[in-house]
Amino acid sequence: MTDTMQRRTLTRDQLLGAYRMMRAIREFEERVHAEFATGEIPGFVHLYAGEEASAVGVCSNLDERDTIASTHRGHGHCIAKGVDVGEMMAEIYGRKTGSCRGKGGSMHIADMSKGMLGANGIVGGGPPLICGTALAAKIKATGGVGVAFFGDGGSNQGTTLESMNLACVWNLPAIFVAENNGYAESTASTWSVASDNIADRAAGFGMPGVIVDGFDFFAVHEAASEAIARARGGGGPTLIEMKFTRYFGHFEGDQQTYRGDEVARARAELDCLKRFADRVVQTGELARSDLDAVDAEVAVLIDKAVDDAKAAPLPGGADLLTDVYVRY
Amino acid sequence: MARTITYREALSEALTQEMERDESVIVMGEDNAGGEGAPGEHDAWGGVLGVTKGLYHRFPGRVLDTPISESAFIGAAIGAATAGMRPVAELMFVDFMGVCFDQIYNQAAKFRYMFGGKAVTPVVIRTMYGAGLRAAAQHSQCLYPLFTHIPGLKVVLPATPYDAKGLMIQAIRDNDPVLFFEHKALYDLSGPVPEESYALPFGEASVVREGGDVTIVTMGRMVHTSLEAAGQLAAGGVQCEVIDLRTTSPLDEDTILESVEGTGRLVVVDESHPRCSMATDIAALVARRAFGALRAPIEMVTAPHTPVPFSGTLEDLYIPDAQRVANAVKTVAEYER
Amino acid sequence: MGDAIVGIVANPLSGRDIRRLVTQASVFPTAEKANMIQRMLTALDAVGVHRVLLGTDLGGISAAVLRALERHRAPGRAGQVRWPEVEFLDGQPIRQTAQDTVDAVRRMVTAGARVIVCLGGDGTARVAAGAVGEVPLLALSTGTNNVFPAVREATTAGLAAGLVATGAVPAREVTARAKLLEARVGGRAETALVDVAVCTERHVASRAVWDPATLTQLFCAFAEPDAIGLSAVLGQLSPVSRDDPYGVTARLDGDGPHQVLAAIGPGLVLPVGVRDIEPMRPGPAYQVDARAGVLAVDGERELTFEPGERPAVRLRADGPWCVDVPAVLAASARLGLLRRDPRRPASPPSRDLQEPTA
Repeated sequence: MTDTMQRRTLTRDQLLGAYRMMRAIREFEERVHAEFATGEIPGFVHLYAGEEASAVGVCSNLDERDTIASTHRGHGHCIAKGVDVGEMMAEIYGRKTGSCRGKGGSMHIADMSKGMLGANGIVGGGPPLICGTALAAKIKATGGVGVAFFGDGGSNQGTTLESMNLACVWNLPAIFVAENNGYAESTASTWSVASDNIADRAAGFGMPGVIVDGFDFFAVHEAASEAIARARGGGGPTLIEMKFTRYFGHFEGDQQTYRGDEVARARAELDCLKRFADRVVQTGELARSDLDAVDAEVAVLIDKAVDDAKAAPLPGGADLLTDVYVRY
Repeated sequence: MARTITYREALSEALTQEMERDESVIVMGEDNAGGEGAPGEHDAWGGVLGVTKGLYHRFPGRVLDTPISESAFIGAAIGAATAGMRPVAELMFVDFMGVCFDQIYNQAAKFRYMFGGKAVTPVVIRTMYGAGLRAAAQHSQCLYPLFTHIPGLKVVLPATPYDAKGLMIQAIRDNDPVLFFEHKALYDLSGPVPEESYALPFGEASVVREGGDVTIVTMGRMVHTSLEAAGQLAAGGVQCEVIDLRTTSPLDEDTILESVEGTGRLVVVDESHPRCSMATDIAALVARRAFGALRAPIEMVTAPHTPVPFSGTLEDLYIPDAQRVANAVKTVAEYER
Repeated sequence: MGDAIVGIVANPLSGRDIRRLVTQASVFPTAEKANMIQRMLTALDAVGVHRVLLGTDLGGISAAVLRALERHRAPGRAGQVRWPEVEFLDGQPIRQTAQDTVDAVRRMVTAGARVIVCLGGDGTARVAAGAVGEVPLLALSTGTNNVFPAVREATTAGLAAGLVATGAVPAREVTARAKLLEARVGGRAETALVDVAVCTERHVASRAVWDPATLTQLFCAFAEPDAIGLSAVLGQLSPVSRDDPYGVTARLDGDGPHQVLAAIGPGLVLPVGVRDIEPMRPGPAYQVDARAGVLAVDGERELTFEPGERPAVRLRADGPWCVDVPAVLAASARLGLLRRDPRRPASPPSRDLQEPTA
């Protein structure tokens, strides 16, 4: 079996794992959407529903050597990189049992032990950090890679462009994943991205730029596996542009009057979970009952996460001043 | 064994000794070696004012030149720190902080807190500050108060070669993000520096001159200006106690307060602009915590609320000099209610 | 003869697929595609085509041409090169899929276009070919890894398209019918202009095929020795030209008796094992051996098939009429069609062609 065949052949367990991961993200986000509307969740949340194939298609190729950096729309990347779902929900509710002990919130969920450098409240904040972890991986010769996820908005930020240049100059094992969901807040990406395709910028930096259907897990998985293999082998960075759409607004509460009818069409015809399920059942790789069992498991997981989060203690006064420094 | 070397050499020695001791220490910045991609000499510069010269050949692969992209490589240094390296990145002039400030104050400074204590970011960002070289408005600022203001950062300003070496070694070993301010006019200053490796703790000021009449609290290059003034004043019978803060974050409040409890009179000498500076910070600290001990209003000697002028006559008026410090000391010394 | 109309459709998404990553495939900027169209507009007008239909896209090509048209029409530009009247085919939803190309070409055919020009790779040509009907097609390559479309300068291609559209050079003399492969899985079918490959992959995924180890069978409408792509495998072993009335098929097997180095893709020269080479006659269905997998048409995975589905491939002789640009311009030289000096006698016409018009 050639390398490409090996990378591309997904076992039953891997397929089930990918489905479980995408389903977990979908149900997590749908549930946060519902709970946020009750007013109980503090602050802002930015939901990833619809984009699951990107996070899971990429992260299913990663292991413990690898790091990712995310955006304000970070729940999907966190789950895909293995951050504990219960701790994530607790963090969103601002509880002491949360991933960040209630001190970060939705936009700052991180787990360094899992190579997850954090969701980020600053657009374009992630790519420079990934240049750093990729540099560390290169110097320490771990074979690890860094993946920087950013959106169409972030693709225009100076930090992102500088990072792409730096990664090419230093030949870093970095993958830049532009998740083009069509909107940067309320502004269409066809307007704000002058080159129309974010992938077209890659040539300017001397790296390959590839466009992938972000609704298709298999297309994402294949492109990501090639880019990651190239990076691990010292071939340098790649830019992958996912084209898809987000099912919810920029933030919860966004009236989305700037949109057309693309969400209804996407949910009906393009949905990554439906397409994945239909496909694997058609090939016989998985049975519909396997998928139903996963759906049931995930429903229980999310319910428990919410119940636990609501019951968990809030941080108190003593927690305010801790962990500013390692030692002051 | 101490011998006399320059501030620049002391920094270089600190970097060399730490890079020898710990292979996770790497250096990066614009022209930190110099000559990258060019047909002539490699390590052509060793940093714009020569601090990192020699490291490129001595530690192959651990001194990285960067393109002019501060937000990318300062961010990369920060990211690498979270991944187990100990990077010493150079922000060539602190005046350039504008293009990479987010990575410093929103990312590095906040990781530990935002992530519930689960992040360690042992990065050192070295930077040049200060006026006096006629480098004009965008290459002469101080700006350390802006960084001091940010929870999660540590801010260090050595005034002497001895402090430069010891504080740099501490900065590299420290597990928090450190902004290390080097005054460009001090690089050629000579002083006694031990050959062996040593680390000076942060948050411990140095009383560089004892005196019972007036407390001068100062930092960086202004330490020397203050000592010059103190020498003149001593001839006139006024004995100044000069405290070199060494680090503004953490701040050695105890040494300041103890001295003012003794003298009752305070002059703060700070090369920054007057608003929201170290001068105002320390004045407020003392006014709150040692009010009863004060026998005169606090005096601040700072640069004016202007950008740094270019022309030599103007720049010399801009920078606080020994005469202005002496005048301020006399004001508080002679004050009677 | 009414007004000669030429239709131009360009694919904004060609040249951005995974081949940029797994081969040394070129990057063809959108700006250059728009530039090619503008060069063609100049050439078309020069030979008497005054109406052009242009497909619209969200990838920036039609937007760039529109901007150029607006600059072109700005007052004070009299005396500059003339362009035909350009009508953008909008008013229908743009899906950013191959369907956009099909819809545009169909509308151009219905509107009476006499030649359709398509800019893109094998995939674009394939899709356009399926919609042109009897209207001649001129496929221009934008990038590497293309077998079917010609790598040709857009200006001369524009002259050729215009000369055929106006009838100055009779289409029947300078167009040839391409062969076509039809791949069928039950009720689903796809056509290919060059090759159909049987791939053991289970999913379409990122479409492109670049690993010969994943292939078990190859069908080629033609296989030229200097081709790049899957047909290069048979192009070196058993060449078949575009004019031959048959194709060629073989099984791919790493241990096969024939071993050949093939230029599978840009920068990708790989050893491929081949067995059971035989000619493909037009008409009969050739069975696909593999139990399950994906059929790749012109190098892109497209038709999945599961056990029990029994796909088959047929060679057909009724592909699109393709404009032979060198033949058009050679005829133009013989007929003096581009000559503009009335005082010098035209060169003697060939006995096979008509007298030039005045």
